[in-house]
Amino acid sequence: MSCDDFRPLITGYLDGELSAEQRARFEEHVRACEQCGQELAELRKLKEELTMMKFEEPSDAELERYWQSVYNRLERGIGWVLFSVGAIIVLCYGGFKLVEEVVRDPGVTVLLKVGVVALVFGTVILFVSLLRERLAVSKVDKYAREVKR
Amino acid sequence: MEQCEAALLRRCRTGDKEAFGVIVRSYAGRAVGAASLLLGSHEDAQDASQEAFVRAWRHIRRFDPARPFYPWFAAILRNVCVSRLRRRSRLKTARFDDIHSSAAEQSSPVLLAERNERRDRVWQAILALSPMHREIIVMNHFQGMTYRQMADALDVPIGTVMSRLHNARLSLRKELADQEHEL
Repeated sequence: MSCDDFRPLITGYLDGELSAEQRARFEEHVRACEQCGQELAELRKLKEELTMMKFEEPSDAELERYWQSVYNRLERGIGWVLFSVGAIIVLCYGGFKLVEEVVRDPGVTVLLKVGVVALVFGTVILFVSLLRERLAVSKVDKYAREVKR
Repeated sequence: MEQCEAALLRRCRTGDKEAFGVIVRSYAGRAVGAASLLLGSHEDAQDASQEAFVRAWRHIRRFDPARPFYPWFAAILRNVCVSRLRRRSRLKTARFDDIHSSAAEQSSPVLLAERNERRDRVWQAILALSPMHREIIVMNHFQGMTYRQMADALDVPIGTVMSRLHNARLSLRKELADQEHEL
């Protein structure tokens, strides 16, 4: 095996992620190869530097504000769901009543009746189609998949 | 702590928001910091990390409380950040590494504890990396994820994680060397 084969193992070695066999072979190679030994030393130094870097812990007041924002979003989420369900029910009922009224009214021309019925059914078809598309996308969306693990 | 977290997560699964509040407070600092490095903006990081916590809450019943919370949450956070970067670049179908992240250069390392000149330079060097290299550095060094956890989050084999992390560290080393050359 050449240095090119061993180099990617440097990272796994530093992070303790190599198998016992990989580790033994890597150590044997590094003892004999000055170039890989130097790269190992440089990357070890870099890793130590990164390990020293930590995020500052937010203050209690900041954490409280942060949690309040998350909490508000959680509550609003339920609000939006209820609002959407309510809006759909009201719109469906309103559409049905409109069609019923227009169709039964003898004073309305046939052309207008056809127009209103087409408008309402078209809206329903578009809504169902969009809903079905959204559901299909959410099933194959790799960015949504993570939350299901 | 693990037992305590598992108990809190079990309470979350029954709809206990106060228990979730304890979890959020425990990880908020790490989440905002990681998102800040991924997005390059503190305001976006606050917003994205909060959105990730809301998504986590919505799917908490699917989560096994015996497992550690943060790696699972980190995968959600990463996806929220990637979506935002894609939206920002308007290249929704682009590979993650092709997304231009000009805003990243505007971020300052104010979220770092015990700052010094060298650490500020490392922060800037991380922000100058490609999004793909930056995210693996953030996952490994700033979110403390193992190779297995990163492989699960990124949906790639462990060997890919190792080679990607190696290349990311080499890029970071080069970036730092270039910075020192310019000084």
